[in-house]
Amino acid sequence: MNSMLDNAEKLRVKDLIVRFYTYEGIVKAVEKANLNLIKGETLGIVGETGSGKSVTALTIMALTPPPGKVEGGSILFQRATGEVVDILKLNEAVLLKIRGKEISMIFQEPNAALDPLYTVGDQIAEALLTHRRAEMLEAARELEAVESRGLWKILKNIPYFRERFKEKLLKKAAHKEIIELLRLMEIPDPERIINAYPHELSGGMQQRIVIAIALACSPAVLLADEPTTNLDVTVQAQILDLIRRLKERFKTSVIYITHDMGVIAELSDRVAVMYAGNVVEVAPTREIFKNPLHPYTKALLDSIPRPGSPFKSIPGIVPNLVNPPSGCRFHPRCSYVMDRCIEGTPPLIEVSKGHYVACFLHGGA
Amino acid sequence: MGSNLRTYIARRLLLVIPTLIGVTLLIFAVTQLFDPVQRASLYIRDPKNLRAIDEVIRKYGLDQPFYIQYFSWLSQLLEGNLGWSQSLHMRVIDALVTRAPATIELAMYAAPLTIILGIRLGKLSAVKKDTWVDHFTRAFAIIGWSLPAFWLGIVLLAFFYGGLGIFSPGRLSPWAEALIRSGEFKVYTGLYTIDSILNLNAAVFLDALSHLVLPVTTLTIIDVALIMRIMRSSMLEQLGKTYIIAARARGLDEKTVVDKHATKNALIPVITISGLLTAGMLSGMVITETIFEFKGVGYFAAHAATQLDIPAVLGFALLTGIIFVIANLIVDLLYAYVDPRIRLG
Amino acid sequence: MRLIDSESPRIKELKFIWKRLRSSPLSLAGLAIIIFFTLIAIFAPVLAPPRGGRDPYMMPRFGFSPTPRPPSPEAIFGTTEGQYDLYYGIIWGTRTAYRIGLLVVLASALVGIVIGSIAGYYKGVIDEVLMRITDIFLAFPSLILAMAFVVAFGRSLDSVTLALIIVSWPSYARLIRGEVLKVTAEDFVEAAKAVGCSDFRVIVKHVLPNTIFPLLVMASLDIGSIVLTAAALSFLGLGAPTGYSDWGQIISLSRNWITGAPGNPFAYWHTYIIPGVFLFLFVMGWNLLGDALRDALDPMMRRR
Repeated sequence: MNSMLDNAEKLRVKDLIVRFYTYEGIVKAVEKANLNLIKGETLGIVGETGSGKSVTALTIMALTPPPGKVEGGSILFQRATGEVVDILKLNEAVLLKIRGKEISMIFQEPNAALDPLYTVGDQIAEALLTHRRAEMLEAARELEAVESRGLWKILKNIPYFRERFKEKLLKKAAHKEIIELLRLMEIPDPERIINAYPHELSGGMQQRIVIAIALACSPAVLLADEPTTNLDVTVQAQILDLIRRLKERFKTSVIYITHDMGVIAELSDRVAVMYAGNVVEVAPTREIFKNPLHPYTKALLDSIPRPGSPFKSIPGIVPNLVNPPSGCRFHPRCSYVMDRCIEGTPPLIEVSKGHYVACFLHGGA
Repeated sequence: MGSNLRTYIARRLLLVIPTLIGVTLLIFAVTQLFDPVQRASLYIRDPKNLRAIDEVIRKYGLDQPFYIQYFSWLSQLLEGNLGWSQSLHMRVIDALVTRAPATIELAMYAAPLTIILGIRLGKLSAVKKDTWVDHFTRAFAIIGWSLPAFWLGIVLLAFFYGGLGIFSPGRLSPWAEALIRSGEFKVYTGLYTIDSILNLNAAVFLDALSHLVLPVTTLTIIDVALIMRIMRSSMLEQLGKTYIIAARARGLDEKTVVDKHATKNALIPVITISGLLTAGMLSGMVITETIFEFKGVGYFAAHAATQLDIPAVLGFALLTGIIFVIANLIVDLLYAYVDPRIRLG
Repeated sequence: MRLIDSESPRIKELKFIWKRLRSSPLSLAGLAIIIFFTLIAIFAPVLAPPRGGRDPYMMPRFGFSPTPRPPSPEAIFGTTEGQYDLYYGIIWGTRTAYRIGLLVVLASALVGIVIGSIAGYYKGVIDEVLMRITDIFLAFPSLILAMAFVVAFGRSLDSVTLALIIVSWPSYARLIRGEVLKVTAEDFVEAAKAVGCSDFRVIVKHVLPNTIFPLLVMASLDIGSIVLTAAALSFLGLGAPTGYSDWGQIISLSRNWITGAPGNPFAYWHTYIIPGVFLFLFVMGWNLLGDALRDALDPMMRRR
């Protein structure tokens, strides 16, 4: 069961079900979602607010936000060792070794993703000292001879101060590495920024810091949850560009979550379209734009504002996920709705090479 | 960057002045509820000396318009003249000063204990939300917060002193009090637990400590709920924030996430409440000191109030108002120290 | 996760609050306690019939000996110092507690609503001045400021009530101001102003109804703490006269008897335990309800 990953696959989300137990009722946020991530690619996940894309991303890190619970499915992941594991079945100790080291995440609001009470340097150091401790200790040992002068020469023999001294050396060792990282993030004047608090930086700078934290340990997978949505347009372009370049440099596979089809076109190799907790269509990016099959995907593409053509919004509203529509969850808004769409849920099937769709118009028993 | 902090501190210090004026105005307004003759009696030492009344009215300008009276009252205040306490037969200011050490000693133990316990319980409750630990801690808090302080004091006294014969009321046992009065024991601070250490007298130290147990327990049980619930809700709020998810996504273990990140942020609102709680403990002191015959300013105020000793009560109220203002100031300065968003503007 | 609904938001809110209250055992306990005391207060003349011609709030006496007597068929809770009937005092003390609690909360809420709405609605200088005044009141611990006013007004239960109103209104004013500021920023208030509604009408019809829930939470928690402060003042001898059915005053009568009799340290337990438990339960009932209401209304908690 565990090793059902293709050679080229890094990660596979299988029949994932996530539900939120709220006072209003059980919110069926993700219902039998299927996705896979190929090594080295950028997979775009697109969908409206509430489509379950962020929940899916957090669940990949086994960080489903409360009161959410994973109620079914598996998330297969190939670790750096080559071993394939189901993330949903791992214990916390193993997860701690995966989070931030093999899978990292960047967030929609960089300002909210940084602890206001610590300098950005401290927060990057956390990632380094958690996952690259051995390496940092090595560097610290090299520093020891230089740093053990004056009072420290005597103090470091006392157990309490010995620890303090070690911390100091570790911080120093990390400092070099952090400056290096900040340079890679194209942050000007890193020696100054390393000691800045998050509120002293602009949104774009904050996002660069968040990316630096995420990439500090060269993860194999980067989950980007709408990282440019809350930034100015010019800054957006810079951050997108940065992500693209860093992806090549760090040889990271990226899952890029957005509601913006334009970003998808620019960045991703393949696209997964989510609607109300279901993955409704997966295809290479060019294929999606050229030949969208699911009515929702078509509507989504039509709603991209284009100069000269009237803006078309998708009729109807995002459904209530406490009582989601029966059958295909898109059927109340679909202009091609048939009886069987109300009765049964269409499975995600491959209609042409690499193009999957969950719609009775395109097969499905 | 440093100038931002300086501006903040300067602005905050300036803000103290109007608040202090307001506080004195309110107390002064209470004195205006009386007619000049009654007001004059606030300063008179010998109630039989009726001839002095006219003289006092003239001296303090008690028949003048209120703003003139306010300024003369205020200038008296600045000289430390809060009036004459009939119930104690001494100047109100002297009564407050001589009794302050007892109250300070009580607060010195009760406030840190309450704050630390409240923070610990609140954090525990938040981290274990909706488990029996949480329910138990919350029930304990609601009980503590609904208990009448004077009744809790009576029950504790009845059980420990009446029933078990330990923890007697007062600040010291008679023998210790005699020792202190004898002059062999040097009084440095008036805080007996500290003085006994300075005198290297373990017996007095233990005696003073045993007299502190019940009043400190009473104050702590009553007030701990306040800190606890603020800490709990603040902690829950922080635990739900994105930076906590981000910290977990960084691979930090739960202990680091909770202790290093969530707790530190959650403590910020607790600072305010802790400052106000420490100042507000004077309220609890009135009751606690009365029950346990712990002769501090609270005992004095309660005693004076039953004797309708108006200058004494107003002097005490003014003192608590000023302490509140100062506590608020300290809290805001502490904020700047803890929160870089304020420190660096 | 947007939800679709057809009910009016306030009805939905009420239903939701009720649902949450019903699902929490603590709030149900609080509600039960409150109902218990309300029934006692209503049926006080039946439960403890006053003797004709006397002030019903004065406790009857079974003699004049100072030493309290333990519970007996004649006086089921026993007597306290001066042979006052504890049972009678506790039953009628419920009325005293309700009278002070409700009176103070209603009066200070009313004053607070007026001051708070004026400050929040007109903003600017008016707001600044009114809020600085409330700040000054809030710069004192309420028991101590109340004590100062009681001493100035003279010792009586009415003085205590008035003093408590004086120290309680500022919190309401501040709460209402905050809510009014929040509500007036919304479109429907702008719309009401635009169609020419008078300020008074806008405040009363559109702004105040939106502040009702936080006000209820505060009032509920306040009844408990006001009764507690009033009892403390009575205990100190500043409120009800000796022999009046007031829990704080009744507890103060026990102060000389807490060390018990020789050989029997708990001989007079009933003089402090019984009235204290009633006072404690009364306060806890309101605190439990207020706490549960606050949780039910807390938008942050709602998601969890």
